[in-house]
Amino acid sequence: MAVDTTKRAERHDGSDAAESPPGDGMSPALQAHIGRQVRAMFDDVAEEPIPDHLLRLLQDLDRGGEK
Amino acid sequence: MPRNASPGLTDELVAQIGSLRAFAVSLCGDRERADDLVQETLYKAWNHLDSFKEGTNLKAWLFTILRNTFFSERRKRKREVEDADGSLAARLSSRPEQHGHMDMKDFQEALSELPDDQREALILVGAAGFSYEEAAEISGCAVGTIKSRVNRARNRLVETLELGDEDLKEPDAVAAMTKSA
Repeated sequence: MAVDTTKRAERHDGSDAAESPPGDGMSPALQAHIGRQVRAMFDDVAEEPIPDHLLRLLQDLDRGGEK
Repeated sequence: MPRNASPGLTDELVAQIGSLRAFAVSLCGDRERADDLVQETLYKAWNHLDSFKEGTNLKAWLFTILRNTFFSERRKRKREVEDADGSLAARLSSRPEQHGHMDMKDFQEALSELPDDQREALILVGAAGFSYEEAAEISGCAVGTIKSRVNRARNRLVETLELGDEDLKEPDAVAAMTKSA
């Protein structure tokens, strides 16, 4: 069902310019380079230890507390 | 409060915190505000668990809550936001504990200068591991729109950083080229 809606949306919007997947003439190497940088930056933060207060919040909620 | 919190759900939420933080930082460029956003997201998620269909994509659902929270706050505090825009690049690039490559710093700065919608699309698809379809659902727009945002984001980064193929001398870039072609 969800697939149907996205398909419709895609067609609805689907000008060829918007569709033409990756790059618009950008070389695959350059695309890959940007991809690596974006991921490295994201993972840098994603892999940090989780701050205690966020863990505590979930524990509190889990115990049935509404804060 | 939520009666339908299934056992193990807390663990599943905890497992998403890392990505949520990374997404939040890339949206707002401010570590403290990012953690506030994540906190609000977790809180809202917990209190609206009844609107989450189990077995569907928890990560996508959480990302949706986070970005909606961010953008609606942003609309509410327009003036503050204009100020934040001005100093976003500065704050991102002065992050103290980041890995030291100059490269990465320049990249972060260029990324922070992208329009919000383009940055969001690039992060969702390029870093958070969502498909174009999932990203479209998260951002509430058409798949074609996401694709063109990602393209525009890439092109803009290449321009800003004045990147060309001659900058890519590492052997793995060549490998990636044949792979993703």
